[in-house]
Amino acid sequence: MQRWFKEDLKNFQVISIFDLLMGYLKEGRLQLDRSLRPETTTFHDSCHYGRRSLKAFGRGYFEEGRWIIRQCCADVVEMYPNREGNYCCGAGGGVWSLPFHEERVFHGRFKARQIRNCGAKRVVVSCHNCRDQLKKSLCKEYDLDVDVVYLWELLAESLVMPGRRIRGVSV
Amino acid sequence: MIVVQIGRLAEQLGVHRNTIRNWIRSGKLPARSVPGKRYLIKEEEFHKLCHAFGLDPDTIEVRRVPMKNDEGRESKELEGPLAELGPRTGLFRESPQWADVCLTCGSCASACPISAVDGMDPRKVVRMAVLGLEKELLESDWVWKCTLCGKCEEACPMNVEIVSLVRAVRGRKPRDLVPGALQRGVQTFLQTGNNLGIPREDFVALCLDLADELVEEGWSGFQVPLDVKGARLLVTVNSKEPFADPDDMKFLWKILYAARESWTLPTENWEGLNWGYFTGDDEVMKAMVANLVDNMYRLQCRTLLLPL
Repeated sequence: MQRWFKEDLKNFQVISIFDLLMGYLKEGRLQLDRSLRPETTTFHDSCHYGRRSLKAFGRGYFEEGRWIIRQCCADVVEMYPNREGNYCCGAGGGVWSLPFHEERVFHGRFKARQIRNCGAKRVVVSCHNCRDQLKKSLCKEYDLDVDVVYLWELLAESLVMPGRRIRGVSV
Repeated sequence: MIVVQIGRLAEQLGVHRNTIRNWIRSGKLPARSVPGKRYLIKEEEFHKLCHAFGLDPDTIEVRRVPMKNDEGRESKELEGPLAELGPRTGLFRESPQWADVCLTCGSCASACPISAVDGMDPRKVVRMAVLGLEKELLESDWVWKCTLCGKCEEACPMNVEIVSLVRAVRGRKPRDLVPGALQRGVQTFLQTGNNLGIPREDFVALCLDLADELVEEGWSGFQVPLDVKGARLLVTVNSKEPFADPDDMKFLWKILYAARESWTLPTENWEGLNWGYFTGDDEVMKAMVANLVDNMYRLQCRTLLLPL
């Protein structure tokens, strides 16, 4: 966008999903119920929103996702290493759509080990590739007993439906 | 020139090793030290030495090396310069920060989770680019097994742009040899506006169905804002969702609804997944971003939500 449409950027604003969701929460536009998701939860740093974005745009989205998760869940743990040192899920860069199955699963061994060691029951991701790799491949290949959810999926699950502000309403 | 080893020469002359060392140190025997604890002595000095000891120089076994100015011995002139000096060229040497500054330390190879797969690692990719092994790089599947995760760059002390290099190699691969379904997706995108070729009417019907489901689930009054001009926020869709996991589209919609956002979803060119990035094809990447920009103007939106 900055490379090819610099002029157009004067006419509109570009935001990421993190900016959008944090904005809603900070402005108090969403009601959340933290009791809905009591499971131990961890955040998987996607390479592109984190490390790659930091390098390409000077800003990595590391803390935003964690902040949003803490609004939804009380029990949040970290995988190590994390943030700019985090391990890739193993399927980024188009590898999910490429025929190199064995290499993809081999790459994911670090991620699988991290998930197992951190003891979380749910892994929150912010990327389609990571989600598919963790949920549809690594959980099976490495016998992981975890749920893999999108960040916005977690938020949607924790929503108190508008107009009904009773605690414990399932959405 | 004659190559001598002190111990050997001492034996041949019948003197102590230190005697020879003293001769060399005092300059009595002009000799030049070379690697491997050896010395170079001129032919005439060697002859003088042999005569002084009453020996026939031709009966003493020594190693000789040809020297350019070694008179009395023929030396062949090499034809042409050994190497061309000047700016080097090569397919993957376009940008100096990529490869020229690499220290070959191997930190990238240590950081890479798929080092050793196919006997390759990021350091080798960089070296191959520097050394001009372009054919080998292009033929390697390894650059397609790399997930562009950037752990190598994070480890690199010299900020070599290894990921850009891998993408550049991918981009130079003849398009019909791009592995797997990626190029087919790119082609489909160029023809239909989304990677999986979902027709507009199917997409619209799916969106309306999902909206009905949301209403049934209790999100009363939910409507999917298709092509709403003047909405604040433009939202895109990753084509694999309508294709394989349509229910996943509802998560974000619920949030937008609950936050009372003014948003819209374009019914044309709504694709949010840029496969041009994966195939190293900047032209395709640009075309996809151009679609988003066009939609921003067409629907007069103020904010673009980056594709999820």
